[in-house]
Amino acid sequence: MISCKLTVQNSLGIHVRPAGHIVNIASSAHSTVELVYSGQRVNAKSILNLMMLVIEPGSEVEFIINGSDEKKIADELTELFNNKFYEDAS
Amino acid sequence: MKMPHNVKQRKMFVGKAASPGYVIAKTKLIVRQRFTVSPFKIPKESAANQIEFFRRGVAQVKREILNLRDLTIQMAGREEAQIFDSHLMILQDPSLIDSVISLIRDEQWNASYAFHLFMQKLIENFENSKGIFKERALDLKDIYNRMLLHLNSGENNFVLQEEIEEEGVVLAGFSIGPNMLMNFNKGKVLGLAIDSGSATSHVSILARSMQIPAVLGLGNLSELINTGDLLILDGTNGIVIIDPDENDISKYKKQIEVFQNQKLELFTMRDLEPITMDGKYIRLSANIERYEEAGEITSFGATGVGLYRSEFLYFGRDSLPTRSEQAEAYRKVSHQLDPLPVTIRTLDAGGDKMLSSVNMESESNPFMGWRSIRLCLDRKDIFREQLKALIEAGDRGNLKVMFPMISSVSEIEKAKEIYNDCCTELKAEGIPIPKIELGAMIEIPSAVMIIEEIAKRVDFLSIGTNDLIQFTLAVDRSNGKIASMYEPHHPAILRSIKMVVDAAHKEGISVSVCGEMAADPLSTLLLLGLGVDEFSMVSWCIMECKKIIRSVNYDEARAISAEALKFSDTDSINNFLRKKYSQKIRNLGISSFVTTQEFSSSDRALVRVDGQIERVGS
Repeated sequence: MISCKLTVQNSLGIHVRPAGHIVNIASSAHSTVELVYSGQRVNAKSILNLMMLVIEPGSEVEFIINGSDEKKIADELTELFNNKFYEDAS
Repeated sequence: MKMPHNVKQRKMFVGKAASPGYVIAKTKLIVRQRFTVSPFKIPKESAANQIEFFRRGVAQVKREILNLRDLTIQMAGREEAQIFDSHLMILQDPSLIDSVISLIRDEQWNASYAFHLFMQKLIENFENSKGIFKERALDLKDIYNRMLLHLNSGENNFVLQEEIEEEGVVLAGFSIGPNMLMNFNKGKVLGLAIDSGSATSHVSILARSMQIPAVLGLGNLSELINTGDLLILDGTNGIVIIDPDENDISKYKKQIEVFQNQKLELFTMRDLEPITMDGKYIRLSANIERYEEAGEITSFGATGVGLYRSEFLYFGRDSLPTRSEQAEAYRKVSHQLDPLPVTIRTLDAGGDKMLSSVNMESESNPFMGWRSIRLCLDRKDIFREQLKALIEAGDRGNLKVMFPMISSVSEIEKAKEIYNDCCTELKAEGIPIPKIELGAMIEIPSAVMIIEEIAKRVDFLSIGTNDLIQFTLAVDRSNGKIASMYEPHHPAILRSIKMVVDAAHKEGISVSVCGEMAADPLSTLLLLGLGVDEFSMVSWCIMECKKIIRSVNYDEARAISAEALKFSDTDSINNFLRKKYSQKIRNLGISSFVTTQEFSSSDRALVRVDGQIERVGS
């Protein structure tokens, strides 16, 4: 099991599209991928769960990944967050 | 949730072009999107049924969204289309599906109410949050509306409040029934901009016959528009612009003038023969989906029906259509159009066209699955009922029957054997057996490879270009990532068509083309030159096609297509064809070439496809 804490660095927070990116990565995983934010723990393979958390810019979230490809998934999520969900490029 | 009404902001929508023409006028809002969901408790044993109903709704909406994404990519680019990927994700979200199913199974709510319950709670949550998250409720609402449209399937009733007093208006609304349209004073309705429906909806057929421009399938337009708003309606390209700017208005004023002149000219085309300058006759037929369309096709100058999609008789119902019901529908078309030929395609279900009346399991690759003639040869009970209905309806001698998705000689032989059995049985019942030509649809590459053997066994051939292109190039058009690889002018396609035409002519039988390719001007000329004898297309494209055909020399077109066959790649073929024909097409002033390509890229960034008010980029 890996725990991986990441900061939301884009300017709009985790709205539909960033949530979509997270779901894409989480759904490709063999591992279970859960996200913890303000005391709630949800399945990161569900876009609705992620959207319902209303994760605002600048907040820190924790992923709990458990399974054979946990390292790979953690890396992909880290890259996604570090690239600000590919949103604020211009 | 609502857009502030005092802010005038140009908004552009893209929907389905349902009836051609252009209008600049004020809007009259008739009905906003409003769903009534009736809650009721279902008996335990119906739960499985309701869950299946719900799942089917999800599958249908998924297809709709995929199509929209496809269209958005073409119109506005991949970036803008991303929102639809999110919509798909929401629609298929495991927590959504599980929750709705549990509401049906455990709390025994009917499917539409279960879905309503879940979504309302969700939408409320989002509306109560702040900033960008609040706007997300719009995405959910869009999905909610789409789903309910399927789950309620046509149970929506609307009351019309006022009559039109204004000079003449474009009616905008969530939906409009043919009765409602007929209630308005003639001449007062200048156009229709409707959230739901498509080019084959009843109201589209009516709009075309009344020559009222119409755009349907506009999503949530009615939520963003008000009575009195100025609007441009472009029924030729399926575009609506609310609060257009000066630029739009002057552009469309010109367009209207051109269109009026063209329309006059085109209608002089209606009664002219579809012959080339050197006298080659080309049959121009209409594609139809419902028997109600038969009446309008001759007013567009069609010389028959080239493709009657019989599966529309089977859709949207839980039982199969009876033999007499089918015979009546087929007869309505064949009798009304007698002596013009009417080609009916036997049941082409499966793939993306599921029937509720037949147990169709979901397949991992439905387009290559249990569909069309394969389904019919397995379910002979269904096939035989249809063939018998066709034989009964063929009493005027103008009916032709074609079998879709033929991939081998044995399929043709089996289908013909069943047909002959049906004839024998009907004869024994004392029913006279008319002469009906039997044809094969060529839409699978294997059929092209053995086309000479197939041609020997049928009375005519019809090329279904949409599937033939998809299967030959192994490209799924609805997949945005590769949609650009869907190339109708790929050399492999040209050569396949050439093979089919040659084989048919060798046997002395005719070849028609009934895919979308038939309605594209450049493709028309190319196909004409390849030797295709008949084109079948949506009826309102026929006069334009006739104009093109009447402007060319057949021998010249033959020579140009023969030249095009020599190229080894699509780009060279397209460049060559454009070089040969662009000037001619421009001189003819073909209207379907205008507008969509003319919008600048900054304009396109503003495109709000299907009512999405998503701003992407910048």
